[in-house]
Amino acid sequence: MEIKSYNLLNVGVGGQGVIRAAQILSYAALLEDYKVRTAETHGMAQRGGSVASYLRFGTEVEGPLVPRGKTDTILAFEASEAARIFNYAGPQTVFLINKSIIIPPVIHQMNIDYPDIKQISEFLKNISQNIYFINADEMAMNLGNRRTMNVVMLGVLSGSQTIPLKRESLVRAILSYLPTEVHDVNKKAFEMGIEKGKNIRGDFNE
Amino acid sequence: MSKPNYAEDNPGKKIVMLGNEAIARGILEAGVVIGAGYPGTPSSEILPALAEMQKYFPHFKLEWSINEKVGFEVAYGGSMSNVRSVAVMKHVGLNVASDAFMTACYAGARGGMVVISADDPNCYSSQNEQDNRYFGLHALVPVFEPATPQEAKDMIKYAFNFSEEYHSLVLFRTTNRLNHGRGDVILGEVKEINRDYGFDWDRSRWVCLPSHSRVLRVRLLERLHEISEFADEFPFNSLKLSKEKINGVRYGFVAAGIPYSQLLDALNFFGITNKVSILKLGLVYPLPKKLFKKLFEFTDEIVVVEELEPFIENILKQLAFEEGISKELKIHGKDLFPQNGEFSAEIYLENIANLVGLPYEKVPVPENMMIIPPRLPILCPGCGHRATFYAIKQIEKKMKTKFVNSSDIGCYTLAVYKPLKGIDTQICMGGSIGLANGIAKIQPEKNPVLAILGDSTFFHSGIPALINAVYNKNNILVVILDNRATSMTGFQDNPGTGILITKEQGIRVIIEDLVKGCGVSPDKIWVEDSYNLNKTIEKLKIAVKAEGVRVFISRHLCSLVEANRRRVQHIKPPIVKVDQDKCVGCLICVNKFGCPALNFDDSKKKVIIDQATCRGCKVCIEVCPQNAIYEEIES
Repeated sequence: MEIKSYNLLNVGVGGQGVIRAAQILSYAALLEDYKVRTAETHGMAQRGGSVASYLRFGTEVEGPLVPRGKTDTILAFEASEAARIFNYAGPQTVFLINKSIIIPPVIHQMNIDYPDIKQISEFLKNISQNIYFINADEMAMNLGNRRTMNVVMLGVLSGSQTIPLKRESLVRAILSYLPTEVHDVNKKAFEMGIEKGKNIRGDFNE
Repeated sequence: MSKPNYAEDNPGKKIVMLGNEAIARGILEAGVVIGAGYPGTPSSEILPALAEMQKYFPHFKLEWSINEKVGFEVAYGGSMSNVRSVAVMKHVGLNVASDAFMTACYAGARGGMVVISADDPNCYSSQNEQDNRYFGLHALVPVFEPATPQEAKDMIKYAFNFSEEYHSLVLFRTTNRLNHGRGDVILGEVKEINRDYGFDWDRSRWVCLPSHSRVLRVRLLERLHEISEFADEFPFNSLKLSKEKINGVRYGFVAAGIPYSQLLDALNFFGITNKVSILKLGLVYPLPKKLFKKLFEFTDEIVVVEELEPFIENILKQLAFEEGISKELKIHGKDLFPQNGEFSAEIYLENIANLVGLPYEKVPVPENMMIIPPRLPILCPGCGHRATFYAIKQIEKKMKTKFVNSSDIGCYTLAVYKPLKGIDTQICMGGSIGLANGIAKIQPEKNPVLAILGDSTFFHSGIPALINAVYNKNNILVVILDNRATSMTGFQDNPGTGILITKEQGIRVIIEDLVKGCGVSPDKIWVEDSYNLNKTIEKLKIAVKAEGVRVFISRHLCSLVEANRRRVQHIKPPIVKVDQDKCVGCLICVNKFGCPALNFDDSKKKVIIDQATCRGCKVCIEVCPQNAIYEEIES
């Protein structure tokens, strides 16, 4: 299958592994000989702020940025960040969201409300019918390494067939960007994500 | 760490690289010897990538310089000595280096000399979004701008040949999305340069006194003229002509850099790429006149697509005027595209659709719009800066007054936000002390003037301003937040650690000694660990009340660096907890101190510490007025 252009937006909070995911996905796309572009948040925005990386690959991609409404997949490592960038999604967009909310500390100090999963889910349903929440933090914790959350989510991305890349390419890319001592736990995290992804695949509204 | 793929000596292999890694790869392939600069987003990854390569290509001589001016001078000293050299900085860094840069452009390059300026449209990590293409116009040197990581690699490699051929410096301008975007890149050959290196005693060239500079300026203008003549053949410029019309109009587009790539995507989106003429520029100054004239012949309307200032647009309009066709030819630019910020992908779509009359529906705003409160960057858990600012605020409160907290560029700038609201100014690197000098001349004594800046920023450009305060008796308290790292840009080392860019341990510069050397009286210098909150308050209060120029050094290793070290060494941080019986829910720790590890449990009205976030700094133990926070000692 030849892909003209696949557009993914990966969002989260600084420190959750968004840049690592961009490295992994761009390398996996390269392994399948696609033209690849990413745009990432480095520097100041990493200090606990919102981070976003665009990933584009295919035979017809030039620049790194994706127009609003045109994203194929939104991969969110934190749920409120998915709602924040809602305008990049359209009816065709598949949302894969880690079912976890990190409330910014300033919210406590200012004594204002922060949206919960239910509100986020209801809001996003105005935009797309393909909204999937995954307990990725919990799955990673069960593996004994919460930092594997991003790899669990990559597994979901693959298992649900939301990304047109081969599983072998993704595994190879994941391992090439992680130190050997965490290879086993990340392989497990990826497998668990795949199983989860297969289950939600049945619910897709195509 | 294993060998990074960008350091492989494997020509023809395709790999995926960050734009900054691709630039570093091009520098390697060009046979560059000297690389110097100062960290600054979005340029910071270039020199560290070269340092990684140096393990396999030991010919490199690299350094983190004290600031961009010195970094530029180090590289230019290399050029004078006939080696290829590169100076690396962010856009505002070139302001610092510009004193050297402007005159070095007169004397020109001997060994190929390229200055990288990484611009930041939208101020993602910067205090302004200045357009450094104007530095080329200002200094009369060519400006190159790449559109993709592959082109960045190829173009910078070419820039060193070009620099030597024309004896000109080259300004290599990038923007954030090029530096911090990945792309597929095919590796080229690593060039070995065999030539005689060494200084050349050409005083008429290197000594820029008036009689020499007048002559050098004539040569500079001649060089620019030659480059201008060559611009039409510049290998990274290309003109694609089309005779087709859209709704009766022949359109031409002009773009460079990231806007060129995004423009192509937008034209492809509408399926009109082959129906318009496109002039792609790799050389954005000087501009290719013949190519433009050709474009004029083939078009009725030209659209210049460029972020920030109308740089190309203005030169193009001037050329159209000289050609006498400014009346019949419509040239668009800032009438369509904004002059501020980065162009989002839909800005291209909307403007092109509007201009040529194609349908494009804006994405509708959904009903029941959800407003998500902003997630601003914050000081990390365990950050020593938070403790110091908290101490400053406590003293302010006790003295029932307001301080003027003149501050600077670094992580600590984030203390501007709630709850600390700890800084009042931030203009430029080292500016805290300079501004404090002036503010102190005016401010009444009841409002003590503090200059608050980090260790790396102090080394960068704080030192002259401190000497100025001593010399001119400007009564200020300088607070140096010494966290032993240039943290905001990626924890680069500085003279305070003495560790070189190659990670080799060199000579440490002791800040206390340096401050004494600047003329600060030894009894006006205080040092305290940032984590010792009560001691800091005690000593800092004395420092605030003392007379003359005073320096308080608040020292603790950056908590992110410390956490990473602990992780590698398998050392557990101290465990800090809240005694739920003692906590009265006063929220001082959450609302005044504001460490992100402190969470309020709304149901129990008590504070709890998120153990996954806490770095065990133990400062909150001293913050809590109820003594409810304690360190749990594992038996």
